[in-house]
Amino acid sequence: MSRAEEIVALVKHIPSFPKVAMRVMEMMDNPEVRAKELAEVIKYDQAITANILKICNAAYFGLPRQVSSLDEALVVIGHDILKDIIITCSSARFYKGAVGEGYQLGQGDLWKHSVATAIMSRMLALRFADVDTGSAFTTGLLHDIGKRVLSSFVADDFQRIMDRVFEEECTFSEAEQDYLGITHAELGGMILEKWNFSPEMIEAVRQHHDHDVLSKSHLSAVIGLANSLVISIGIGVGADGLANKVQGEALARLGIKEKEMDKMLVDLDTEMDKAEELFHI
Amino acid sequence: MGKIVVGISDMQISNKPDDILITYSLGSCIGLVIWDPAVKAGGLLHYMLPDSKLDPKKAEEKPFMFADKGIPRLFKELYTLGASKSNMVVKVFGGGQIMDSDGIFNIGKRNYMILRQMFLKNKVMINKEDIGGTVNRTVSLEIGTGVTRVKISGKGEFEI
Repeated sequence: MSRAEEIVALVKHIPSFPKVAMRVMEMMDNPEVRAKELAEVIKYDQAITANILKICNAAYFGLPRQVSSLDEALVVIGHDILKDIIITCSSARFYKGAVGEGYQLGQGDLWKHSVATAIMSRMLALRFADVDTGSAFTTGLLHDIGKRVLSSFVADDFQRIMDRVFEEECTFSEAEQDYLGITHAELGGMILEKWNFSPEMIEAVRQHHDHDVLSKSHLSAVIGLANSLVISIGIGVGADGLANKVQGEALARLGIKEKEMDKMLVDLDTEMDKAEELFHI
Repeated sequence: MGKIVVGISDMQISNKPDDILITYSLGSCIGLVIWDPAVKAGGLLHYMLPDSKLDPKKAEEKPFMFADKGIPRLFKELYTLGASKSNMVVKVFGGGQIMDSDGIFNIGKRNYMILRQMFLKNKVMINKEDIGGTVNRTVSLEIGTGVTRVKISGKGEFEI
């Protein structure tokens, strides 16, 4: 068994993505769906239920009294925030503990990076009619999930990988490919495939470190750009950090100007503050 | 001994000899370290963008996000601890960027350029710097001694 085969074999041990989340996301594709119907499904996932109630009662919503039933909470928070809560809470369980240690990420860093990338992806998605903002948010949240599997292998080969990055001026992903036979992006794509996410989302995760990612589908470009921006300002960044390559010339084709990117970084800060209040990142 | 973490768009100052100011993972942001050996006081600013004109409302709420607001504030706050401009040791870190031959992700360079312009105008000399490249830097300042360290993943920690 080659190193890469050994790594890929571990994907089947990743637990399933919460079924309740998948079902609720599907139901919400129908804008007519009623809160009561959603509650019937959500109540089977204790973690999501508890989080909805907690978030609903957070100062952010400024409700005059405590909400204790799921039906009522779903009416208060509305569909967009509900989607965020369900997907964020369902994903959070995969980022618990020392995930990403091999990349020298501290506890909670990979999660923070993922939330920031999700928020930035959603902001960027608003600019493209053919990109669903919810899918962009979810894909952003899960783009680095492959690191969960690859982290311990990166740890074993850490110094060799870093030496290669410095000496050859290659990217961290290229060094992963050279020494481990697979990248975290490719593994992430496999995990999303196992979880039955859409082909576009799988592709966007798989391509997020491709140098020409900005020339690919709009969803892939959104995730690649969001990740590059979040890495640039150093939110939840490990040893791989800036050792990333993106061909920037396609940015003009996407119609995004320098000043707009700067403004999005300011807005990201505002949105992260809100997310911290809601999700206790 | 107190380890004081300086976040993104944040600044901390101190004159307690046991304090260590530290900021993590500078990418394209700039970490500006200033220390006055005479009064043994220092500060660390971690700003993200060059120009507050981008969002004046945000700049009021978070002045340390922007070079043009954050840098003068760091100097002023240090004056309140008795530091003087002629004594100050000034060190600059960060301003890196991801590999991009088209220079689109050049926030780091712009962050550094505005600092140089402001320093030129106000006659501030940079004593030491470690700028640019495709590396992330963690920077710390020991208030009691002025010892400044930079840590780069895979390369180790260096005194600068």
